[in-house]
Amino acid sequence: MASANKPINTDVPEKDVFALHFLQSLSNLRRQNTFNSPEKTNDRVKKIKKVAYVSMARAAGGTNRLWSRALLRRAAKENNKVVRFPRRKKRVTCLRRRRSNRRDPVEEEEAERLRNLVPGGGGMEISKLMEETAHYIKCLSMQVKVMQCLVDGLAPK
Amino acid sequence: MLDSLLTPSTSSHMQTSATTFDHKDFLNHIFASAPWPSVDETHAPQPPPSDVFVDSRNQQIMMMPLSSHHQNDNVDGSSAHALYSGFSATGSRPFHIPQGSGGGPMHQQGQTQRQPQQQASASTDTGGTAVSPSQSRTKVRARRGQATDPHSIAERLRRERIAERMKALQELVPNGNKTDKASMLDEIIDYVKFLQLQVKVLSMSRLGGAAYVSSQSSEAGGSHGSASSAVAGGNQPTGNSNDGLTMTEHQVAKLMEEDMGSAMQYLQGKGLCLMPISLATAISTATSHTRNSLIPGAGDVGGRPSSSNLSGKTVQTMNTLKLNSNGNCMAEGSSSIAVKEAVSISKP
Repeated sequence: MASANKPINTDVPEKDVFALHFLQSLSNLRRQNTFNSPEKTNDRVKKIKKVAYVSMARAAGGTNRLWSRALLRRAAKENNKVVRFPRRKKRVTCLRRRRSNRRDPVEEEEAERLRNLVPGGGGMEISKLMEETAHYIKCLSMQVKVMQCLVDGLAPK
Repeated sequence: MLDSLLTPSTSSHMQTSATTFDHKDFLNHIFASAPWPSVDETHAPQPPPSDVFVDSRNQQIMMMPLSSHHQNDNVDGSSAHALYSGFSATGSRPFHIPQGSGGGPMHQQGQTQRQPQQQASASTDTGGTAVSPSQSRTKVRARRGQATDPHSIAERLRRERIAERMKALQELVPNGNKTDKASMLDEIIDYVKFLQLQVKVLSMSRLGGAAYVSSQSSEAGGSHGSASSAVAGGNQPTGNSNDGLTMTEHQVAKLMEEDMGSAMQYLQGKGLCLMPISLATAISTATSHTRNSLIPGAGDVGGRPSSSNLSGKTVQTMNTLKLNSNGNCMAEGSSSIAVKEAVSISKP
């Protein structure tokens, strides 16, 4: 518990950034030959969903956030791509938490569930996890707004 | 470096030299500027121009009152008290006396000063009573009745950080007025699941497919939050879905003759599911009255997005769509595979 008490920065870019990334990746997706076949809608759904998450991760700050890094890494692993992330300045060190780490069992159980939901939450302790969750929630809601607007705009009247 | 740290921008002229210290003056300044938490609030959202602040650490110190303002009930008096007892113990003080609004950052600096000192003197600190290092930093003296153990201080700081973050999350999550930490965490978890489900459903509708898919997604998404799309989407299902469903029915029947898997996939792509008739009738009778409340209920922005509720609703909308068009529901023994599609909220 030696780090300073810096204020949390949970700023999220505007809707335009998210929309831009998403539309770019959608148009990339369309160019793929295997995409526009009428059958196999399930695959299309999965691809679109993956694209949505990846574009959200990129729009939200790329590799500057833990969850977006984890997301991008996971997506790249599925594609069997090798990714190289620049080294971050500070590492998450568990060594600093000495005996002052009070494990509240109720809290820990909830934290475990949260860790399963938020990407990259495995190695974090609770305060960092909550910070990442806040940012993740903001980005998710932004992404949902963008997608909803697109659907509304394109839906038949 | 200490000098630059302690110079608030509002009172850059208040640089007294660090030779003698008067307790009374110090206390008068702190308590005379009584509403300094609120004063800081006006400053904090917009950090003052950084010509006085030398490095980013100053800005952090200036920003701190905003975050700690929420905790001002247990922080203010105690830390002012802590500083006072700390000064009385050592009799030396490196602080300058800031002006009124600087009283806020003043005590915050006391707190932030504690931490680097803790880091630096972790190995040599013997419970807060050791001789201060030669850098003439303040001695950390916890408030009365508390252990001066560095672990408990760290513990307290950690709890404060967690509370701070919990407050930030509370503002984000709708219905975040729960005071209990456990239930708040539950709400957070449910909300994250809900958002992920929304992304999934919206990506299904991106196929530009049938209208009932998009209306279904707008209904599911509209049960929480976006009222307009829900109201708009709520009017659609009855019109378009009937034709669409008969076509789908024929299509699925055709596919089923060839290969069950592809039929299932087709259904999944449409966002429909196959379930036993008994279950379907049970659900439809149970929810025929609640379905009417779905649409006006969706207009309510503060809807509670519990995951079980949501998946229940999605199943209902799908199911009632199916049942409305044809009396004999498509049922195949015990296959209710795609119900999982709606109910399970898997990792993206």
